[in-house]
Amino acid sequence: MSTDKAFALRGVGAAVSGAFALRDVSFELPTGYVMGLIGANGAGKTTILRCLLGMRRFDAGEIELLGRPVPGPVALRQDVGVVLDHTSLVGDWRLSGVERTLRPFYDRWDGARYRRLLDEFGLDLRARVKDLSRGMAVKLMIAVALSHRARLLVFDEPTSGLDPVARDELLGIIGDYLVDEGHSVLFSTHITADLDRIGDYVTLVHGGRIVRTGTRDELLEAYRIVRAGPDELTGLIGVELIGVRQNSIGAQALVRTEEADLIGGHVLIEAPTLEEIAVHIGARAPRRNREMA
Amino acid sequence: MRVVLSNSAGVPIYQQIKEQVGAAILSGELAEGSALPSVRVLARDLRISVITTTRAYSELAAEGFIATVPGKGAYVRPLDSELVREQLLRQVEDGLQTALDAARRAGLQRDDVVQILDGLIGAFSEH
Amino acid sequence: MSAVARMVLLDARTVAPYKIQGLVVFAVCVAVLSGNNPAVVVPALVLLLTSVVSAYPFVIADKARLETLYAVLPLPRRAVLAGHYGWALTCFAATVTVGTALSLVIARVRSVPFGGHTLLTSLTLSWEIFVISIAVQFPLFIRFGYSRISVLCTFLPLALIMMAVTRLHLTIVTFAALLKWLPLLWVAGAVVLAASVTVAIATDRRHVP
Repeated sequence: MSTDKAFALRGVGAAVSGAFALRDVSFELPTGYVMGLIGANGAGKTTILRCLLGMRRFDAGEIELLGRPVPGPVALRQDVGVVLDHTSLVGDWRLSGVERTLRPFYDRWDGARYRRLLDEFGLDLRARVKDLSRGMAVKLMIAVALSHRARLLVFDEPTSGLDPVARDELLGIIGDYLVDEGHSVLFSTHITADLDRIGDYVTLVHGGRIVRTGTRDELLEAYRIVRAGPDELTGLIGVELIGVRQNSIGAQALVRTEEADLIGGHVLIEAPTLEEIAVHIGARAPRRNREMA
Repeated sequence: MRVVLSNSAGVPIYQQIKEQVGAAILSGELAEGSALPSVRVLARDLRISVITTTRAYSELAAEGFIATVPGKGAYVRPLDSELVREQLLRQVEDGLQTALDAARRAGLQRDDVVQILDGLIGAFSEH
Repeated sequence: MSAVARMVLLDARTVAPYKIQGLVVFAVCVAVLSGNNPAVVVPALVLLLTSVVSAYPFVIADKARLETLYAVLPLPRRAVLAGHYGWALTCFAATVTVGTALSLVIARVRSVPFGGHTLLTSLTLSWEIFVISIAVQFPLFIRFGYSRISVLCTFLPLALIMMAVTRLHLTIVTFAALLKWLPLLWVAGAVVLAASVTVAIATDRRHVP
């Protein structure tokens, strides 16, 4: 079945704990692209991924994954590769045993491919899961996902805890995977540098809500960073200063591009980086967040 | 094909690709009919997003430099198309403009410039 | 292969790295039991080994966070739960096979009378021990997770069962007189186990509709 959307969430709401909840979460990814889900720790990234993967119930809205509703038939999981922030394999399994264990569950398991990928990734079939470094464990989970021919890869914080070399390698693996235009990737991260180059789409989460979603360039275009003297950003009308950082020598804030023109005076207005957008939006109080994508 | 991307050039990545591929085609380094990597392979090799390479290629295609074949890749179009002629013409104008600016600063007269140009054309024809 | 069978296999793979330890415990059990009445061999093995091995996937799953793996694999949640019970039944069947053979050998070597009736009552007793242990523990493991429940649920039922065993062991000869009730005990055990599966599915905390 061919679908033009890898997944879509529409108005998803889920009570999590205490006052924290996902509210009206809507975003989608066209097939064949990479999306980064960015936000501070505790913004709701993992909860969103768990809802999408049918690992958690949600109370409102609907989710579509590879053209099927979630929760849906378990056969859908044949097509999804999941790499979470922890390995969920028995530490005493050898990598050959991992294959023996998982192979019966997947209709399209390709053992030769598994061994070739391990070889490519520099992983030893005889090694035990518990002896792998974080980077090696991520690569193992990717090898598993690619060996059952997943069409969508979902990563939760894949690069956290990886050294720069391993991170670069991972970005290369994702690029390789995307050479097939039927493949898509969604990953959550708080390291925006990962997305600066390979991210096609970016979704920004804050306080359980989607602040903005779209192509990376759209997101970068939507905001401007304003740098000014200590008191030059006070008393502006019609301009919402997002995550203002103020001290005795200057002030800095994020503003929406359409509002940036309203700021006069000797302020410096520049295009922000993803990091700056994430930092400023992450710094504001969640309940002031009225902006919906 | 050779593409070298700068992170600090202040020029968007897609623009850098477009300019470099365009220049390679105009210089003849990429001959008519040569195959270019598909957008996805290029994205992988440069570690950049698919949207970025797609944009570079579609602008190159819109300017008549390349033709893209869905699912296959792209190849260099013949240089005689109208669009490419325009590109070349603009390059000629730009080059001459730079030359004239330098000539003005050097205090050269019209005849001096024409003489230099004639000399260059002579050398070019012999070549 | 059905989804439940695949899950049984996954449980087997989960405990596979610890098979040496299992064999050592088995050897110790055999050594201790070989001096005993052959009629207690199977019930004792079920009590000391089978109930522990049956529950072992829960121990490992807790440590290795296999609940995530179960949620990611193309496997219905019901098959995961039923598979745990299937694994336990497989362990029971293996124990009965090996244990019966062992009892017969012990009986022959020590020239103890060990007839069909005694064997049947011994196996029935084993089945009841197995059912009680699994039926009580599994729904709790599934609802609360192994680490939160282990102390309460492993020791309490085991202590109770231990008492029951001692008593039944003493009455095992008269138990033979109850031969006609044996089928009923097997059926009752199966019903209890089925009820336990139902409870486990109904109270499963990871159930996603």
